[in-house]
Amino acid sequence: MKMQKKLIMIIGFVCLFSLILGSTALAAKKVIHVWHTETNPKSREAIANIVARFEALHADIKVEAEALAWGDLEGKIMAALAAGSPPELSHGQPITCAALHEKGLLLPLDDVVKAIGEDNIWDQIKKVGKYGDHYYGLVHAAGTSLLVYRKDLANKKGLKNPKTWDDLLHNAKELTMDTNGDGKVDIYGLTIPGDNLFINILMGELTKANGGILFDDRNRPRFTDKKMIQILNFLKELTKYMPPGWEGHGYRETFANMYGKKAAMMYQGYGRGASLIEQYAPANMANTDYFDVWIKPHGPSGTKPAAQVDEEPWMLFKGCKYPKEAIEFLKFFYKDENYLEYIQTVPIHFFPITKSLRKSSAYHATPMIKKWKGWLDVQEYYLDNDLVKPTLVVDWEDMAGKPYLMEILGSGILKDMVMEVTKENVAPEKATAKAQKRAEELVKDRGYAKW
Amino acid sequence: MGLKLKLSAQKTGIILISPAILLIFSLLVYPVLYGVWLSFFKKHSFFPGQKFVGLANYIYLMTNSDFWMSIWYGTVYSVSTIVLQIVLGIIAALIVNEAFRGRNFVRGVLLFPYVIPTVVAIILWKWLLNNQFGLVNYLMMAVGIIDDPISWMGKDHIMTSLIIISVWEFFPFVVLSVLARMQTIPPTLYEAAQVDGAGPIRRFFHVTLPQLRNVLFVVILLRSIWMFTKFDTVWLLTQGGGAEKYIRTLPVYAYMRTFMYYQAGLGSTLAVIMFLILIISTAIYFKMFRREEEI
Repeated sequence: MKMQKKLIMIIGFVCLFSLILGSTALAAKKVIHVWHTETNPKSREAIANIVARFEALHADIKVEAEALAWGDLEGKIMAALAAGSPPELSHGQPITCAALHEKGLLLPLDDVVKAIGEDNIWDQIKKVGKYGDHYYGLVHAAGTSLLVYRKDLANKKGLKNPKTWDDLLHNAKELTMDTNGDGKVDIYGLTIPGDNLFINILMGELTKANGGILFDDRNRPRFTDKKMIQILNFLKELTKYMPPGWEGHGYRETFANMYGKKAAMMYQGYGRGASLIEQYAPANMANTDYFDVWIKPHGPSGTKPAAQVDEEPWMLFKGCKYPKEAIEFLKFFYKDENYLEYIQTVPIHFFPITKSLRKSSAYHATPMIKKWKGWLDVQEYYLDNDLVKPTLVVDWEDMAGKPYLMEILGSGILKDMVMEVTKENVAPEKATAKAQKRAEELVKDRGYAKW
Repeated sequence: MGLKLKLSAQKTGIILISPAILLIFSLLVYPVLYGVWLSFFKKHSFFPGQKFVGLANYIYLMTNSDFWMSIWYGTVYSVSTIVLQIVLGIIAALIVNEAFRGRNFVRGVLLFPYVIPTVVAIILWKWLLNNQFGLVNYLMMAVGIIDDPISWMGKDHIMTSLIIISVWEFFPFVVLSVLARMQTIPPTLYEAAQVDGAGPIRRFFHVTLPQLRNVLFVVILLRSIWMFTKFDTVWLLTQGGGAEKYIRTLPVYAYMRTFMYYQAGLGSTLAVIMFLILIISTAIYFKMFRREEEI
């Protein structure tokens, strides 16, 4: 009995000692918190590998990398800032970066840019996080939205890349088909996600493609403009060729419509979808002979195509504990050998921000890049010709000048307007008037109204 | 000495219950009062700084069509789910109250929806109800109930889908409560009714239902409160998707105002209104029930 008591006491002491020793060792390390939105297993693994290599070089630093779902990120960043304990680094929407910079909550990333070499970064990328002479956001990778289509079906019908919205409507009509002759449509012409985020992306794109603007210089919404009415009429017409219930389809379900052979075009596709096609489409169809991309068309009042660019910047937060160490981590992240590993996890969606990597043979040797080159060429065309902007950004000046876009996106005002026209048969004039009123209230509430 | 002991016992009592009181105050009273206070301010959800606006938030909502739509959707959702839960719950309880082979297994299965995490249940249902690839449409078409797939997650059917999912998820609570009461009804009451020539339907209406009155009173009250304030099931079903607009109940609208518009003042105003609606409805319910008791 006595022996047992002694044994328990010894074990207890050993446990306590190890606990104290362990926590002291951990406390001695500088822990930097990194929040990112790449939740897929391959990207998480790549980040874990980069972190491990970084920690091996910096024995006094520990990197806590956390993958977060998009829906959770903005709220979590805001809550952390409000609580006074932000992470060191986080991804975020470009418009979130703009809003946080405007409130003075970010630190510059100039040292990282210097380490990469400013000339080594693509010009388009620099526009996302540069305010004045300083960089407050640095894009982790860029990927543009894509008009994905079933090449085999389009070829059969002799359809060409649509140049205008009318062409797109024509293609959508032609590709809406009853393939088994039972009198029912089994392949729809086009599919788009009904999510709030994607409808906002779509509305930003269509506004640009139709030569319009969402807000004027005095921050007044321009939703009742003729160009917006044209957009809504176009969407109303387009939805005739979309699967019933499209408004309830999320992004992945929309891609399922594509590879599941239920839709022939997808307006809001992304390079990321190539992986989904490889995973789920019939093996003989998982290639560019069946799924290819067209350049997006423009509207009746526009002259150029427009797409959205998915390019979340890294942000460094004021008030974080270890900003210098976080900068060191980012420098390490962008080193070609590390950055390539990250890029290769979603190669058709992650366009490297550095010219050196985009030109490197190692990058071009990636099997998926060889296979889906057409998808990358279209993205490169958009990026190099400045035809893409972040969500709801119509002009690059919006990035700094319209810090309320984050709230406009969250409010669902644009989505509700689209639903009213396409699903409730509300006249575009009436729906835009309602949306205009709501947006005016929101901008006024945020204190940005100058009219 | 006796007085001293008594005082000391009082003090001990106060000391012992003070953690509980502190907990109730900090987790219940303070947030409610803070919410009411916040409803008189214009405030960003996360950034400091606020402006007193008096009743402006309340006045704004009274003239806001989205607010009235959310009241309407919330009422449709809660009333229909409560009625269906009660009806299905009683039917299921009556069945599993009878003796038959495999009864325990059926009782276990009936509880299944209530123990599944909401997130899992919603993911499952979303794929079952998918209009292109879902099992529900496939089966309905296979047996000839429908010719074309129904867009369960689209504008016209999203509320129906939400009601079906919610009833499926929460009716086991009614089964449990009702079954527990049924098992305590004296068999002599049924024997007497049978001697008087009452058939199964008359026995249900004249013996079972009156005996269930008290438990149903509590069940209806609880379920009404829970369904009217239900957020997770409603939000997860669309998560801001296109059809979200057609099931934007009051809790969802309050969440959106607070965490998507970042208008904490308006969000709190909506929460206070929801609170008031529940208090008034509960008071009316209690009064009606008491009046019935008096009769």
